[in-house]
Amino acid sequence: MADPKLVQDIVEALDIPGGSTQRRPVHTVGIGVTGHFVPSPIAPEYCVAEHFQPPAKPEGVPVDVRFSNGIGLVKEHDGWSDVRGMAVRFHLKDGKSTDLIAMTLSVFFAPTETTFLKFARHARPQPCKRETPWQKIKHYLKLELPLPDPYPGQTERPNEAAIAFANEHAWAQPAVVEASAIGAPVSYVRADYHAVHTFVVTGRDGQERRVRFTWAPVAGVLNTNPEETPKDKYLQKDLRDRLAGKQTERFTLMMQIGEIGDDFDDSSRQWPPHRKRVMMGTLTLEHVPDDQQAHSEKLSFNPWHLVEGIKPSGDPVLRIRKDVYEYSSNRRGGIPCPFSNVKG
Amino acid sequence: MSEIDAAVSPTKDFAPQNVQGNILRGYRHGKVRHLMLEVSNRDVARRFLAASADGTQKDVPRITRSADWSRDNPLETCFNIGITFAGLRALGLPAEQLATFPSEYAEGMARRAIKLGDFGQSAPENWPSPFDQPDRIHIVASIYSNDETAFDTVEVQVGRAFTILGTRNGRNLPDDKVFFGYTDSISQPRFKHVFDPDQVGVDEPKDPLGTVLLGYVTHFEGVEFAIPEPKNVFRDSAFNAFRVLQQNTDAFEAYLSKAATELEKNPRQYELLPKGAEANINGGTNRHEALREVVAAQMCGRWRNGTPYELSPNSDVLGDLSKTNYDYKFGSRCPAGSHMRRANPRGGPIVQRVANYSRRLVRRGMSYGPDPETGEHGLLGNFIGANYGAQFEAVMCDWINFGLQDPEITGTNDPLLGANEPETSVFYLTTSTEHRIRLSGFPRFVIARGGAYTMLPSLSAIRYLSGLKG
Amino acid sequence: MSDDGGWLNTYVNSLPERRWFQFLSKYVVVPFWVWRDGKPKLPGGPRPSPQPSDSTQRMMNLLMPLKDPSPIGRAKAVMALAQNVDEVFAGLDNVGTVHSARFLLIEDHICMISVYDGDFSNYIRDFISTIGSVFDALMLVVEGGDKLRPCEKNVEAFIDWVRDHDLFQAPDFPVELFALQDAQIGKKPNDPPHAVESLPRSLILQLHANRNISLGGGYRGYPGYSAAQIRNKLGVGW
Repeated sequence: MADPKLVQDIVEALDIPGGSTQRRPVHTVGIGVTGHFVPSPIAPEYCVAEHFQPPAKPEGVPVDVRFSNGIGLVKEHDGWSDVRGMAVRFHLKDGKSTDLIAMTLSVFFAPTETTFLKFARHARPQPCKRETPWQKIKHYLKLELPLPDPYPGQTERPNEAAIAFANEHAWAQPAVVEASAIGAPVSYVRADYHAVHTFVVTGRDGQERRVRFTWAPVAGVLNTNPEETPKDKYLQKDLRDRLAGKQTERFTLMMQIGEIGDDFDDSSRQWPPHRKRVMMGTLTLEHVPDDQQAHSEKLSFNPWHLVEGIKPSGDPVLRIRKDVYEYSSNRRGGIPCPFSNVKG
Repeated sequence: MSEIDAAVSPTKDFAPQNVQGNILRGYRHGKVRHLMLEVSNRDVARRFLAASADGTQKDVPRITRSADWSRDNPLETCFNIGITFAGLRALGLPAEQLATFPSEYAEGMARRAIKLGDFGQSAPENWPSPFDQPDRIHIVASIYSNDETAFDTVEVQVGRAFTILGTRNGRNLPDDKVFFGYTDSISQPRFKHVFDPDQVGVDEPKDPLGTVLLGYVTHFEGVEFAIPEPKNVFRDSAFNAFRVLQQNTDAFEAYLSKAATELEKNPRQYELLPKGAEANINGGTNRHEALREVVAAQMCGRWRNGTPYELSPNSDVLGDLSKTNYDYKFGSRCPAGSHMRRANPRGGPIVQRVANYSRRLVRRGMSYGPDPETGEHGLLGNFIGANYGAQFEAVMCDWINFGLQDPEITGTNDPLLGANEPETSVFYLTTSTEHRIRLSGFPRFVIARGGAYTMLPSLSAIRYLSGLKG
Repeated sequence: MSDDGGWLNTYVNSLPERRWFQFLSKYVVVPFWVWRDGKPKLPGGPRPSPQPSDSTQRMMNLLMPLKDPSPIGRAKAVMALAQNVDEVFAGLDNVGTVHSARFLLIEDHICMISVYDGDFSNYIRDFISTIGSVFDALMLVVEGGDKLRPCEKNVEAFIDWVRDHDLFQAPDFPVELFALQDAQIGKKPNDPPHAVESLPRSLILQLHANRNISLGGGYRGYPGYSAAQIRNKLGVGW
């Protein structure tokens, strides 16, 4: 169990005006989807976990998925540049389950739990400052890009504070730079999602590998045009339209294998895109349930909710997310976290 | 002198009196002291080099030449020097001449760290003094003797001309062993034109002198390695990678026990070591000990007593068995990932077929430690060749680490010398069937604790450097 | 992007697309920054790495300037290669570490684009010893090639020349450029950290020093495997 004070501090550092303690502090707005996951024929070689074994039914194991906007506002701003989330729960035999939680950012903001708290406290949204024309010209003359103008109706944003923080702390730069240009996807199924942390998977022969997971959309990655005025609400309707009737959407689960020299316990450092990459399976999204409260908003995902065959790495951020998610779930009255009855 | 004259084939080019004595053959002395020196006064340093090359001044040690070598009547004390690139600059070699030296040498060992696998624990940032300031190390002087008082005498003489930044003492362990328990220095390159009584009967191809000395034909057909300017001065020089390599013997022995315990549970263990074969290992031992020794033998490529694993599945051999005359093939008993096969794949199958025999290195080393306080112990190694890029670095970055030479081991590192960590390390044991047994979870057993890229200048080069002006 | 900041703001936002401002940037702003904070050329080719997947399927993007870019000069370059096809194929088979290699004539350059495993200088040295004659023929038509002939006798100089003409490979992640630029001038990387808003300037100044670059490490369908591993698995021998 991590220091409860630190856990509480992190959750509270994420709270922002316009959010709600009755909701998730970040990834507040989301939509639940159901579907199935079918492992690839090669997946069992690399991981003995149940959802990677040949499935009993041809359609695979049932999954609950929640897509979300990263920002902690109760009001939807789908069209704003923002990190998106994709939390997946695999339903296994005997009522068991396991989660894989991913986001469109490929790298985390901080290497440890304490540095993350520092970042979260410094990078809180602040009143937007539109740069004056003269400030912008000064940027151009310095061969820099000015900050984007605020969106209509946007009064606060984290950009200024996050950049100022990253300018003092090089470890925050990969995530801050990537986040600053991340844009808005035209659909939740037109983005790729990274589980960011390193996990340890056990293969059929007992071999352990340090890996990172990514969901790659079969439809391809596509963002909205940043030149156009952003729409506030379109992503949930898009998903309902795409999954109407018998229509489906798919993601492939790609697994990168870490090597000597990779820092397995630091998710603020990316792995280059040419690590060995294994195709682990296909997720098919089928249905947007009507009861979103039960199928999405009350669910409590947790990146530590793993199953035999997948272990957490020593990443301290992954470790504290276990307790942070649990604390947040209890606070908002979610269905108890998978860990509420389990000693951590 | 007389023996060497007889021993060297009469080729008009090769001049043993121009070559330092520690290059073509190893001395027989039991001890060594390496002095890391800084040129603090250019003129004094040059005068020392002149006197040392000349060898007639009483209070300056004479550079030992290849021509001084004699098996029956060895010198009591030998003295040799290596000069770093920073050292050439400190001695005043002009920039346009410095520019003719190879870039690996100019950068120096610390800046080549990634290629050598010197990262993590082995990173130059973690090297102790004097190796924490690589640009100050200008000369590595080596004194070889059986008598330690000679070291102090020579050190005082050298100290009058240079700032001594640090010293390292080495010694031969009994029976030519290294701390890991293996008999070492069995296979060495042999050179055309050089008679080496230690190597009589060895059937590996002879290496052309250009393998180790600048200015001679190399193993690459048609290829010549560049001689720095002026060429007539620097020919007969060689390049050396001086390495301080800590050997983590406790971790090694602990891993052998762990591996043996795992193997005892492995249903395929009898394909690795048949029932009863324990009787032929180390004079007869129990199963656990025998499995430990098999793992040690496959990791190295030799049993600890020196018997090649390729030639014998047991350490104990009846009758005569050559320790040097064999070759590897597809399906060899000796694993492709073993240390010896990586360092010298001989004529065996390798991916880079053009490179068979072309990356040979002269290896000379003595053990150091254990340090009375830290217990640190290991090897002071000299890895000598004519071209760092084509030999030392090529072996380290493609063969010792990475294992590019055989697709079955590509992506794995040398189990003994490699840059390993428990999370990713892998080594495959061969068995009597096609099945291989995978070992994993071993750490880095050899940790770099310092070193330098030095040129072992010819006598004419030493005289030239001592005569520089300005 | 939306805008409610008035006409001046709109106009300023459009400056990067305006001809007069582009002209100003090109002839005044960029030269000023090159003078003030110019970056040394970053070396070509892949950077040394202890990581196996960095050491397999490395890219060579070698741009060799033609001595004579006229159709006749270009034809000479084509002939130099056409007459050496056997040498190239037999040689690369025995170098053993090459996934693919091809030559292109682009503008005033003859380019060798190849994918290989292992260390850069070993690759060059091994192919000089096997197909040195091809490079000797090529060096006849390439600017600055005369002093490298014959390549077998100028191995070190040839390797340095190739590294100099191999394209700089931009990092896979943009902020890594800061560390590379620091290291190139002997500074400890990111100490102190760079302002992230200066990243566009760092890139522009680097592109001034390295006109042509390779963008990142590129995509690989089966990353991390050597040519020999693939041949071995496919059952075609190595």
